[in-house]
Amino acid sequence: MLSKRLAALCGLLAALFAAAPSSAQDTIKIGANLPMSGPNAELGEIFSRAASIAVNHINADKMLSKKLQLVIEDSQATPQGGVVAMNKLIGVEKVPYVLSAYTAVSKAIAPLGDKAKVVSINGGAVGPDLAELGDYFWNVIPLVNFEAEVLIPYVVKEKGLKNIVLIFVDDPLGEAVQKVLRAEVPKAGGTLAGELQIPRAAQQFASVAANVRQLKPDAIYVASFGTQVNQIVKQLRDNGVTQQIISYSAMSTPSIAQLPEAKGAWYTTQSADFTASALGQRVAKEYKELSGKDANAYVANYYNAVMVFGILAQALEKAGKPITGTNLLEQRRAAGTFELVGGKMIFQPNGTVAMPVQIQEIDGTGAGKRIK
Amino acid sequence: MVLLQLFLNGLQLGAIYALTAVGFSLIFGSTKIFHVAHGSAFAIGGYAYWWLATKLNVAWPIATLAAVVAAAAFGLFMEKFIYRPIQRHEAAFFTVFIAAFGVQIIVQNLIGSLVGRGMETVTTTLSRSVEIAPGLFVAPISAISILTAVLIFSALSWFLGRTNVGVAMRALSENPDLVRVFGLDPVRLAQYAFVIGSAVVVPGAIFTAMTAGLNPAIGTHVMLVSLAATIVGGIGSIRGAACGGLLLGLAENLAYWKLDPQWSEAVTFIVLFAFIIFRPSGFFGHPSGAR
Repeated sequence: MLSKRLAALCGLLAALFAAAPSSAQDTIKIGANLPMSGPNAELGEIFSRAASIAVNHINADKMLSKKLQLVIEDSQATPQGGVVAMNKLIGVEKVPYVLSAYTAVSKAIAPLGDKAKVVSINGGAVGPDLAELGDYFWNVIPLVNFEAEVLIPYVVKEKGLKNIVLIFVDDPLGEAVQKVLRAEVPKAGGTLAGELQIPRAAQQFASVAANVRQLKPDAIYVASFGTQVNQIVKQLRDNGVTQQIISYSAMSTPSIAQLPEAKGAWYTTQSADFTASALGQRVAKEYKELSGKDANAYVANYYNAVMVFGILAQALEKAGKPITGTNLLEQRRAAGTFELVGGKMIFQPNGTVAMPVQIQEIDGTGAGKRIK
Repeated sequence: MVLLQLFLNGLQLGAIYALTAVGFSLIFGSTKIFHVAHGSAFAIGGYAYWWLATKLNVAWPIATLAAVVAAAAFGLFMEKFIYRPIQRHEAAFFTVFIAAFGVQIIVQNLIGSLVGRGMETVTTTLSRSVEIAPGLFVAPISAISILTAVLIFSALSWFLGRTNVGVAMRALSENPDLVRVFGLDPVRLAQYAFVIGSAVVVPGAIFTAMTAGLNPAIGTHVMLVSLAATIVGGIGSIRGAACGGLLLGLAENLAYWKLDPQWSEAVTFIVLFAFIIFRPSGFFGHPSGAR
């Protein structure tokens, strides 16, 4: 009996080794520190699919001397999970470049990347202080201050919705949005009529809706992410809140686009026109085939994040330099402009990018309607 | 009016929490198995209903019945293929805990792979509140949740107090050997506990799908609430779990009256800690932890 079990175990191990990816010598690895489980996994799935399309393109186009491999670790969208994943990616997988997401996670892992001289690149988090995390932390997404600068004047001045209530999550992203709105709303001539901070794990918002009704706002700004955004919007509408709902790029998920209660909500996101170039069309088509859903700005960001690595690593190989975080940083500073999905991308000295921001309305069609 | 609104919101949420917690309490009370995967029964029941009602347009009674069958089948599977083999060999508490925890992660990932990782809701007018008095909004689902909870607890109380199987299930927690002496099968009784305990979670799952929505990771939150309600109510007491769930739902909502919203969840744990410190046996538990 024991020998049979031993044989079965050996067989299983042999199968596992046979199925394992190529050895480190045959591949160039980059990491992805993304939420792959928990209430934020929907976004992690979008990010990782977009990144894997870029990896496939780099390999298919033979941009690098070896096969590029994406090692995905689950941050669970928590700083603790992100730090564990980052330590593994740096210490075990020895990657020079890591895809990151979520403000709290990004802020937690940035010092680790800085110390190990490993580049972290963010395509999903929008906290304004992500621009100040050091040379080794880059962003390929416009941060929320740029989004608010577009949305708030539109809401207050053009639409006349002067009293705004903010519902914001109890984490660095929520607090960052609070800070931005405290500056932007009065600047546009409006009033921040209320600030309701909610716990990250909260799922019940009927009583938050009661608070909002008491405050009688013209618009409600929702600053959360993942499933919680959907829950807030649904429960606001179910509990008698009829005013305009506004938010930022976290609202560009397929599940909220299909939520009947979200219809009519406005949110900002960067302009990501997939039809403008052959590359954009190729990415959008492959993403649709892979997921059955339309590509959004997050797809462009994580595709671009991996492509930035491909372009920089290709240049380093041509120059005979090793692909390290330090060399990638030097090469990025020397490179200037990147031609990617959505057009030309130029990194600022602080590792951020400036991109046009648009306002979308959820209209029940999936892709939504651009209103500005 | 605000206080009344918060109270009504708390009653609705408390009813859902109570429906969720009572199954866990029944299973733990009867078998002494710490069924961490109870949240998975909630997720399976909720997603089964969602899939049938929204994707296949199955009538709600059939969808509900199918969801109950799915959750009960999961409970039976856990007893037969996870807990019983472990107990046969080792029966260590920690082994059982880890096995159940592992199953919960597997179920979470299976649901995510099969239906996606975003939020899914059952769209219904029942969740839409109407203003019944100035500033007082109530949705039909509030009354339905409370009524369902009352019906289920009444039925469970009758079953456990007045039927032979119910009495035997209560006896199982006290003395399994004595149950054998009376010619009853403890294994069969444990299976009944898992089937019933998993089935009663389904109404709460359906109401959650209609109000707050489902996501594959919802089982973790459900388990946390179940555990807190069970401790507050008194470990192993069905009546206690029901009262505990109701109290937590009320506390979570009434907290909004004087506290900022970020304190709502903390209030749950303040109530829990208060019970652990001042009344460790909960509402209806005995100091020994037995019923």
